[in-house]
Amino acid sequence: MRSGRPILCAALFALAACKGGSEPAGGGGAQAKGGTLRIGAALSMTGAAATYGQSQKNGLQAATEEVNGANSLQGIKIDLVVEDDATSKEQGINVFQRFINTDKVNVIIGPTLSTTATAADPLAQQAKVPVLAISNTSPTGITDIGDYIWRDSLTEAQVVPGAIKKAKGKIGFKNAAVLYGNDDVFTKAGYDVMKKALADENVNVVETQTFAKPDRDYSAQLTAIKAKNPEILVVSALADNASGIVAQARQLGYAGPILGGNGFNSPGFIKNAGPAAEGVLVGTSWNSASTAPANARFKELMQKRGVNPDQFTAQAYSGILVVAEAVRKAGYKTGRDDIKNAFAQVKDLDTPLGKFSFTPSRDAQHEPAVQQVKNGKFEIVEQ
Amino acid sequence: MPGFLLAYQSLLAFIGLNGLLALSVYCTLCCGQLSLANAGFMAIGAYTGALLTQNAHAPFPLALLAGALLPALVAVPLGLPVLRLRGVFLAIATIGFGEVVRLSFVNWSYTNGALGLVAIPRKTDLWMIWVALAAVMFGLARLRGSRAGYALEAIREDEAAARTMGIPSTQYKVAMFVLGAAIAGLAGVLEAHLTYMVSPGGYGFSRAVDMLVYAVVGGDTIFYGPVAGAAFLTVLPEALRGAGRALGLAPGPLRLFLNGAILLAVILFLPNGIVSLPRTLRALRLRRASRAALG
Amino acid sequence: MWQQAINGVFLGAIYALFAVGYALVFGVLDILNLAHQAVFAVSAFIALAFVAEGHVPLAVALPVVLVAAGLVGIGLERVAFRPLRGRSDSNISGLISSLAAATILEAVALQIWGPDVQRFPIGTFPDKPLRMLGATVSALQLTIIGISVVLMAGLTTLLRATRLGRQIRAVAESPRAARILGIDVDRVIAWSFFLSSALGGAAGVLFGVAFNSVSPDMGRSVELKGLAVIILGGMGSIAGAVIAGFALGLVEVFTVVQLGSSWRDAVSFGVLFFVLLVRPSGLLGRAAIREA
Repeated sequence: MRSGRPILCAALFALAACKGGSEPAGGGGAQAKGGTLRIGAALSMTGAAATYGQSQKNGLQAATEEVNGANSLQGIKIDLVVEDDATSKEQGINVFQRFINTDKVNVIIGPTLSTTATAADPLAQQAKVPVLAISNTSPTGITDIGDYIWRDSLTEAQVVPGAIKKAKGKIGFKNAAVLYGNDDVFTKAGYDVMKKALADENVNVVETQTFAKPDRDYSAQLTAIKAKNPEILVVSALADNASGIVAQARQLGYAGPILGGNGFNSPGFIKNAGPAAEGVLVGTSWNSASTAPANARFKELMQKRGVNPDQFTAQAYSGILVVAEAVRKAGYKTGRDDIKNAFAQVKDLDTPLGKFSFTPSRDAQHEPAVQQVKNGKFEIVEQ
Repeated sequence: MPGFLLAYQSLLAFIGLNGLLALSVYCTLCCGQLSLANAGFMAIGAYTGALLTQNAHAPFPLALLAGALLPALVAVPLGLPVLRLRGVFLAIATIGFGEVVRLSFVNWSYTNGALGLVAIPRKTDLWMIWVALAAVMFGLARLRGSRAGYALEAIREDEAAARTMGIPSTQYKVAMFVLGAAIAGLAGVLEAHLTYMVSPGGYGFSRAVDMLVYAVVGGDTIFYGPVAGAAFLTVLPEALRGAGRALGLAPGPLRLFLNGAILLAVILFLPNGIVSLPRTLRALRLRRASRAALG
Repeated sequence: MWQQAINGVFLGAIYALFAVGYALVFGVLDILNLAHQAVFAVSAFIALAFVAEGHVPLAVALPVVLVAAGLVGIGLERVAFRPLRGRSDSNISGLISSLAAATILEAVALQIWGPDVQRFPIGTFPDKPLRMLGATVSALQLTIIGISVVLMAGLTTLLRATRLGRQIRAVAESPRAARILGIDVDRVIAWSFFLSSALGGAAGVLFGVAFNSVSPDMGRSVELKGLAVIILGGMGSIAGAVIAGFALGLVEVFTVVQLGSSWRDAVSFGVLFFVLLVRPSGLLGRAAIREA
């Protein structure tokens, strides 16, 4: 049927055009106005880090809505895909592979834990997909994987020394005991930072004990610590262990101050430790008391969603803002290399975390703070 | 298109690996020994291979060889005393061994303790796994019908009787124990270079149980039984994932439930494994037919 | 020092309670019941459900859960162990069957309650520290030690002084002889499972409350420790399990202090190996261990 052929051609052409438009631009190609920025978020929705993952999801979703709603990317819409890495390295690797090969994302956000990141990030580096970590705080083993790995979360090395210094100024202690998890990249790295910071402040460490993530009974370690009468207990742990440690420490009769690492920065910690959490000091990346407009807007948005934001929410929210800014700096291009190259151009961006930039080594740079649990809530400790 | 192939490639790779692991357990099962040590041997092989390729930049074949050899060497001094224990005690001793291996790696700073090794170069290809599997199956098939094969069967039936007949049962048992260790170690190296990482947590008690389940469900009286069991139990949760999600079942619990339920059904009703299903059905049919014939 | 001893006794009480259940079933049936740890975990979840959602006080929930756990044990026996009784390799197939049952129970728990750690609501147990001999003990720890001791003493008394107890011991000695003597072996075995699982369930609830942590895999590590306990104590010996349980708890706690937490589990398995290779019958066991 000769008359059918032009129709057939037109149909095929239309089909091809439709198909071409559904995938976001991969590789380094140019992107027309409008289009999709596909962000793959690998978060721990189940497992030991689930409490952080939930906060992060809230932050990411709020920021995505905000950016899409304000149409601040000249027609480019963010397509946020959230997958569960189950706080497991294997799952993290699986999710990354799916993001890279099946979903063909432009940029990956996450994973939640540094431990998962050390296993999964190398895949992204090899596949040349940019990764923006929003909660990996281990000083080594993250951004040093390669030039596609970036982070907006301050490392323990950037937060803990300040926290210890401030605590020493406020309380004044000459010796300390340390308890840390030896089976997690973050808690182990946190310990290294704490050890050095204490030494720098001329604090004598009278006892060091370890535990593992699955442990539930810390009485042996805490008893040994208490016997040495430390003036402060410094703990590097994830939220699940943190609440158990603090509760058991109080139960065993240790009444002195406790200072925790980034793992404590979750309302889940306060909820599970109950009254034992009172007075615990934590260094934090998010100054919740800041009155800067970006922070006020963030808090307002989260309140409207009925969510009580924590540091992880703030870092996740800021992560989307950073990616959006990178797209802008790249000339509204969403290619993987476009974003990766544009990250370095993000300077003094207004985020809930403060004015944000990347360091030359792709780490985060902004002012940290110290907070303390007062009446069941985190309160910023003023200068 | 590539994503689709990737998904199936991964499944086929894991069927092959699980088949190898199931065969490593079969080695000891076929002479009547219930050993749960192979997760430990797998760990030794995996770490050895990974350390060689990462730190010594050794060629992959060398890593494979070392990964199979080292567990075998460990199996000898372990097997000699432990294989003298009967049934349950052997099982417990091998569980203990597995835990000791896992804990040793957790406490060894050279291997990053509980964090394990990451960013292991991907050197395993699908064909390697299946060639290894075919080779092992071939070897075990040759065993059947040979003098050694009969000896193993005799030991399985009644070790005391076999010994009075002059079969050196200890030597045979240790030999199969060592062979199982080598196969598990080889599988370990292959897996490590497929999944980019090794960590002590992946070689614990539940791993050892999984391997045993594959072998028992498949059928531990014939060399292709364990592979059938591994294939069946690896594919089933994937195949039912869609149906499971429709019913509101999470994939993790679903896989676990299927493993448990099928294992229970097999041990109660089909003790020789699913490969004996055709035979059992035929026997049932014959019995029914003869009963009908007799009126 | 005393504090660590109390920590050790506390941990040991839970280990002992758990291991006693193992020992009972092994003594009677010559089977290692690896589903014991699943009953342990599921019982903790059921107690949690009672307390957190049913708002039932713990003191009421505990006996209820004990009975429920016992009933699960009876069900376990009927489904997974009784059909295997005639078989020649029944202790191996029984072990595998119990593994299957454990996996099923764990999968159900995972599906219903999810993999995350759950906690008892604050105030489930009044938090009162007491000072004794220069050590701080919480009322919770004392209560748990007390309950464990009472339950274990109860079992021992039952075995020694009641008719059922005598029947259990007869069946443990020789099921065939017991049947000839007119003992209803099936009923006795069912009772053994009831008692064993009730104790395992109690251990689970106490553990969950003690460390305020309930998760589907909480039985795993205790299961392996439990194996070390019964090997040390002697398979099939209740008294052995009790002694070894407390001993292991103490050894573990002092290991953590002297060598570090990473070595805690290694010591248990070191003990297990040593006993198996040197004196497999353990401290008080009588079971035949070697082949020939």
